[in-house]
Amino acid sequence: MITATNVKKHFGEIAAVDDVTVTIRNGEVFGLVGTNGAGKSTFLRMLSGVLRPDSGTVLVDEKPVYENPAVKADIFYISDDQYFLPNASPRDMAKFYSDYYVSFDMVRFEDMLAGFRLKPNRKISTFSKGMKKQLSVLLGVCANTKYLFCDETFDGLDPVMRQAVKSIFAGELAERSFTPVIASHNLRELEDICDCVGILHQGGVLLQKDLEEMKLNIHNIQCVFQNAQDEQAALGLLEIVKSERRGTLNIVTVRGSEREIMDRINSFDPVFAEILPLTLEEIFISETEVVGYDIKKLIF
Amino acid sequence: MTSRNLFFKLVRQDFRKRIWCPVLIFITYFLGLEVRLLMETEKFLVDGGECIYGGVSCDIVVYVSHLFFGREAWMIAVVTCGVAFLCGISGYAYLHSRTQLDTYHSLPVSRTQLFWSRYVSGIMQFFFPFLIHVLICAGIAANRGAFAAETVPAIMSYITLQLVMFVLAYGATVLAVVLTGNIIVSILGTFVLFSYSAVVSALIHLLFDRFFQTYINYSGWYDVCLSEKLGCFSPLSMLLKLFDRPYNTTMEAAQQFYTYDFSYMGIMFAAAAMYSLTAYVLYLKRASEAAGRSIAFCALEPVIKTMIVIPVSFFAAIFLSEISQETASDKWFLFGLFFSFVTFCIIMEIIFRLDIRGAFMHKKQFLFNAVCTALLFVVLRYDVTGYDTYVPADAQLQSCAISIRHLMPLSQHVRVSPFGTHYLNADDYRMANMEMQDNQSVMELARKAAQEQLTYRYFDYYEGIEEVPEYIETMNRQQYYEPISFAYKLRNGEVVNREYYIDIADADTVRLLSDIFADSNYKIGATPLFNDSWRIAFDTVRCKSGFKRADITLTPEMQAELVGTYQKEYMDLTLDTVMHVIPVGTIDFATGNEFGRTSYSGEMMVYPQFAETIALLRAYGFDMEEKLMADDVEMISVQRQYDHLQYKDSSTSYMLSTEEAEYTDKEQIQQILDSIVSDGFSWELGSFATYFDRQYFVTVRYGVKEAIFSDYVFIKGQIPDFVKISEKNN
Repeated sequence: MITATNVKKHFGEIAAVDDVTVTIRNGEVFGLVGTNGAGKSTFLRMLSGVLRPDSGTVLVDEKPVYENPAVKADIFYISDDQYFLPNASPRDMAKFYSDYYVSFDMVRFEDMLAGFRLKPNRKISTFSKGMKKQLSVLLGVCANTKYLFCDETFDGLDPVMRQAVKSIFAGELAERSFTPVIASHNLRELEDICDCVGILHQGGVLLQKDLEEMKLNIHNIQCVFQNAQDEQAALGLLEIVKSERRGTLNIVTVRGSEREIMDRINSFDPVFAEILPLTLEEIFISETEVVGYDIKKLIF
Repeated sequence: MTSRNLFFKLVRQDFRKRIWCPVLIFITYFLGLEVRLLMETEKFLVDGGECIYGGVSCDIVVYVSHLFFGREAWMIAVVTCGVAFLCGISGYAYLHSRTQLDTYHSLPVSRTQLFWSRYVSGIMQFFFPFLIHVLICAGIAANRGAFAAETVPAIMSYITLQLVMFVLAYGATVLAVVLTGNIIVSILGTFVLFSYSAVVSALIHLLFDRFFQTYINYSGWYDVCLSEKLGCFSPLSMLLKLFDRPYNTTMEAAQQFYTYDFSYMGIMFAAAAMYSLTAYVLYLKRASEAAGRSIAFCALEPVIKTMIVIPVSFFAAIFLSEISQETASDKWFLFGLFFSFVTFCIIMEIIFRLDIRGAFMHKKQFLFNAVCTALLFVVLRYDVTGYDTYVPADAQLQSCAISIRHLMPLSQHVRVSPFGTHYLNADDYRMANMEMQDNQSVMELARKAAQEQLTYRYFDYYEGIEEVPEYIETMNRQQYYEPISFAYKLRNGEVVNREYYIDIADADTVRLLSDIFADSNYKIGATPLFNDSWRIAFDTVRCKSGFKRADITLTPEMQAELVGTYQKEYMDLTLDTVMHVIPVGTIDFATGNEFGRTSYSGEMMVYPQFAETIALLRAYGFDMEEKLMADDVEMISVQRQYDHLQYKDSSTSYMLSTEEAEYTDKEQIQQILDSIVSDGFSWELGSFATYFDRQYFVTVRYGVKEAIFSDYVFIKGQIPDFVKISEKNN
């Protein structure tokens, strides 16, 4: 488990990370979302022991990570601009990392390279940006570390490759103790892979939520009532986060379980009532609007 | 995997990554070692086995052992510094790249291992190619018959030297890279660290030389880069010091073939360790986010700025004033100081900000540095610390050495070993070998000289001051001034040197000088001729009288007798005799053969009082008292030189004119011969001899088989009337 408590990091007068407290449970895919300059990379660099926090603590499995090789042996960090040795090939990089990571699986790496159609002896400098991202992920996965920190790694991947990487992650999660932390400026990138998402804004965490929990507790309802009195009474019983009216059609975002909400609406014998699927984006819009932010301005 | 295994893996990894580095180093040393050795040893094969190197006659074995692997090691040491710079910069440049730092600092390896693995890799990249080339050179030497038993320790010492030099320069480079966050600033920082103490020492020398009249430096031209007080903490200073032959030396040291000071390598290694450990500690403390910034430790920024801006400003000020027409004037110095200070403050801010818009940031620091610079100028210009008037209290003094120009001669080159001559500066020798104690007149003279120094006036010849009547008046007033150097050897081990100008015409000064000259410690310490440890076997004694000279060869016993007799009589010599009695001749103990004589003692005066010496010389075949008679002389020419002011077109100029007359009449010639002394005595004794009239310059032509010309001056007050008449006629 990764625990960051009241972590602060300033670069001169700029507060890159300001009093962030986050807990990342083992075995979950954690998404770190935020606009450019929100502090995602700085936070990940602190999690991976590159930067030392000005204050606060970063613990990985209850041990400080900074200048602690034993803890770092469980972490593989893929930066937003991953470094490759000059004139190195994928195989060279694998050898490079195998010097540091005892569990590095060279055989699997070769297999995965073939699967992604990356030539093991081709110079990385001739790779496209996307190919470099793929290679970074493969190196990270084959290092067999418990934690994999990916900074904007998915942003350069095409949908097919993204899906392939997600499949790898899913396999890893199923087979071993694996906790990926994925930073992205795009919430949509993380929607179908993350279990938990934290939103960073101006160095601080706005929100950290379990996605399933959020999905179970917030719903988008589309309904039409017999008359205005029923409508007013029914909606009055609901914990509405957001509502919109188009003629007689009400579109409301409501907190609570699906059954509880529908029972209350059906008790007024509506003309029409149904639950619409909510995107992660819509959930976050609703959640952050509650705490007073216009998330559209922050993320999308 | 153990940490040890990882360490070696990291070393191997770095070596592979920078494989171009050892390849480049290999080529560099190939040219600097094998190629140079082959070229140099070819000379020996052509010239029959012996060559002259820097005044040293040597065979191929001596060349290889003592020069190639010895004295000339400085050349490769300079190359090694360049190699260290290359290894240091390339090895730690990743600290300037955020991308690389993110990778390396996220890896499961401690910073300690990361630092030292690179460090060791860098040393290996230098050492292995270098060692291979040295071994090949040893093979070449053996092939050419230049390898002897003495070559082995020479090579071992050479390898140690280059390794220590490498680690020293490498440590400084790594420190500079760790301190900075940008490659260009790292390179600049390396140059600063590499040369700081040498440059500041040179600046101190230049400033003291400019502002303090009594400042004197006893050393070679590059010794100005070695300040004892400041210390030699920069690699450049250490390199200079390592190869700097000590001037204040003993006879034993002078007889050795000087290559370099191997014992100094311990200090160099300690400095190298200090640089490297400092770099390591800072590396551990260095934040990863420093990549890309100019300086990794912001707290050091003001210190670095002050340490660079102030010396550079003074350097520029000196440079500007020196290239101006009025070098001694404050005008251009102050302009240079102000201009360079402002310019370098701006440049430093731009470097630290990496942004031209940052040029005028940190106004408070600008002000602080400006005040420091101004204060330093005031302290130097107005001698606030009393440098020129400083004379230590008697209680502080252990002993004192004095060198008085013209009072006792000393040759400058002494052949003391089969390898060649040893440069012996008179002042250096005396400052090192003279120990005067318990002579009150010494410190009394020092205090008097320090006080009177304030009234002594220097003129810059190029300022056109010679055209001003004040210049002529001052020159006339100061014509009997002689420089005198003091080395105050304090009880705390410090040696303070000062040079003054004293007025020989002043009765009180003469009184004090007489006391000093009467002190046997002065005479013994003033010349190696009277110093038992320096006495060597001479090849000849060159004798000169008023009109003849001869080289006489003596047995060691005869030499010892002559030196002993001369020393005994010289010890009784008084300053009054020196100033008022005309010498009968000079003796000069020399080494060498007819193809080249090297004076050892300089031309020592023989006075009429030295009866035993004169008698001994006569017994050895040289009659010093023999006189030149008119019948032997063909012609005498008398030149008169006089200066005068010339007024023309409302301007005044200083003129030096010469008049000449020739005399062939035997009576006139005899009168002139009775009134002249050898010009050589006059030059040797300077202002101490008060009996010369230097306005006249006499040339005597004599000789039976071939014409001989000798130069003389008149004895003051004995100029024949007909010479004065002819002067009037002219």
